Amino acid sequence: MSQAVTARPPQELVSWPEPGYTRVPLSVFSDPELYAWEQDRIFRGPTWSYLGLEIEIPEAGDYVTTQVGDTPVIVLRKPDGSINALVNRCVHKGSIICYEAKGNRARAKNLTCPYHNWIYDFDGNLTSVAFEKGIQGKGGMPPDFDKSRHRLLRLRVETIRGLIFGTFSERTPPLRDYLGPVMVQHMERTLHGKPRILGRYSQFMRNTNWKLYVENSRDNYHPSLLHAFFSTFKLNRLSAEGGTRQDDRSWHHITFTKRHTDKGDQAYDSGMIRAMKQDYGLKDPSLIDQWMEYPDQITNSIQSIFPGFVLQQILNSIGTRQVITRGVNDCELVWTLLGFEQDTEEQTCVRVKQSNLVGPAGLVSMEDGAIGGFVQKGIRGDLDCAAIIEMGGREVGSQPTRATETSVRGFWKVYRELMDV
Amino acid sequence: MEYVHAIDNNELERWPQLFTEDCLYQIIPRTDHEQGRRIGIWFCDNRGMLQDRVSSIREVNVFEPHVYRHVIGPTEIVGAQDGAWRAQTSYLVVRTMHDGEMHLFSAGRYVDEIVLEGPVARFRKRIVVPDSWRFDTLVVIPL
Repeated sequence: MSQAVTARPPQELVSWPEPGYTRVPLSVFSDPELYAWEQDRIFRGPTWSYLGLEIEIPEAGDYVTTQVGDTPVIVLRKPDGSINALVNRCVHKGSIICYEAKGNRARAKNLTCPYHNWIYDFDGNLTSVAFEKGIQGKGGMPPDFDKSRHRLLRLRVETIRGLIFGTFSERTPPLRDYLGPVMVQHMERTLHGKPRILGRYSQFMRNTNWKLYVENSRDNYHPSLLHAFFSTFKLNRLSAEGGTRQDDRSWHHITFTKRHTDKGDQAYDSGMIRAMKQDYGLKDPSLIDQWMEYPDQITNSIQSIFPGFVLQQILNSIGTRQVITRGVNDCELVWTLLGFEQDTEEQTCVRVKQSNLVGPAGLVSMEDGAIGGFVQKGIRGDLDCAAIIEMGGREVGSQPTRATETSVRGFWKVYRELMDV
Repeated sequence: MEYVHAIDNNELERWPQLFTEDCLYQIIPRTDHEQGRRIGIWFCDNRGMLQDRVSSIREVNVFEPHVYRHVIGPTEIVGAQDGAWRAQTSYLVVRTMHDGEMHLFSAGRYVDEIVLEGPVARFRKRIVVPDSWRFDTLVVIPL
């Protein structure tokens, strides 16, 4: 089931300038052959990919279509309440079977390919081939054609707090083991009630290899420097209490801030930080009013799960981000903004107002959409160069600071392991 | 037309003045709008928030310079309600980047409520409903 069309193994495509994770060869962001291997070894390898929310498919027969890396996937609620994830590709000619973003197949009780009407049950078994016995005794499939030998590939599925994950590999540990207790605890903490979808949109990141976005989501060195909105309003400065947490293997990452503990630092007052705007004020400061939603006093946290899932808490803006690969040069980010069933109307209004901080028009996050493109443009012509990732040392692991790139190193540690480069 | 030229001619400071003090300006994709969801990519429920957006564009946000060209279809007056005209208008926006790259950026419709404040017509409400839920890279300038 290899995606890699190339005969050359990854080790021949890229060479790391030195051991460890402090240098990253820039060619990894633009090599189409490496991209093909990533589909195989990462997205179809021993990793869990986020597929959607349980509340998107509440009823029997409900489905949504999505992707794991490049592979199209159907996520389906079965009549017994369990969830199946099947590759959305007919075994006959390779057509996608479900061609809408979402739908319901409860009445039909099956999945039918639109091209030649091949039919599958909800577990992906091929149950019917149109004109299998021919018409009026002529044509049809050969008598020894065995439907039971053809089926839709099924992913393993597990859920946590209403988040659905799927994996292609039998080697992937169970979801909770894959995440580790630190990540599990934080997910359960962030999604503290039954979620409700308040909005959903996609951000197409032109000229941004998917790894540039995922790296960015783990990079807690950049927010107060790139995002002037964060620093000017002291929402997320490194001088506030915060830190970087990882699982034992350094595959995943959490950065968090407690904005009310910001004691300041000479570095921000020096005039050297572009993002510190001394004379800027909001006409409507209610935009950044927040209620203390979490007992841990954390006002901002970004959790990044390998390979392509992000759970955000920016003040009271809660949401999921799903990274979709779109070839070696582009990627897409699907944002789902959430509230909880128990929210008051007043709390919902705060979440709606703070939606201005995130997404492609986010006063904070819009720069994340552009910065990958800046890098992709900058590295042209110098693909034999390497990035320098030494902030906070040369190792991986949790650190009681955010002036560190420990989780970016964590990403490259996993990458090198899985890709064998 | 003043709306379009304020944006397309980079006279963004004029843009909030086209709204009432307690206005609503929102950009919400068509699918979410039809489902009655609350959150799109942009939500301002008073003129001050519009002005904050403009000053953020001018002073805070980092993006590659670009301009819009709006093409506006005929306006349909849908009705009148609470002293306001309700109207809808189709739009297309072409975005041109500083390096010359140009593409169709957004297509959709405006759903408006317009009131007279003395001699001046202002938007009490302008909901921008793009047909697509996908936005290319970033939406820093209002649609």
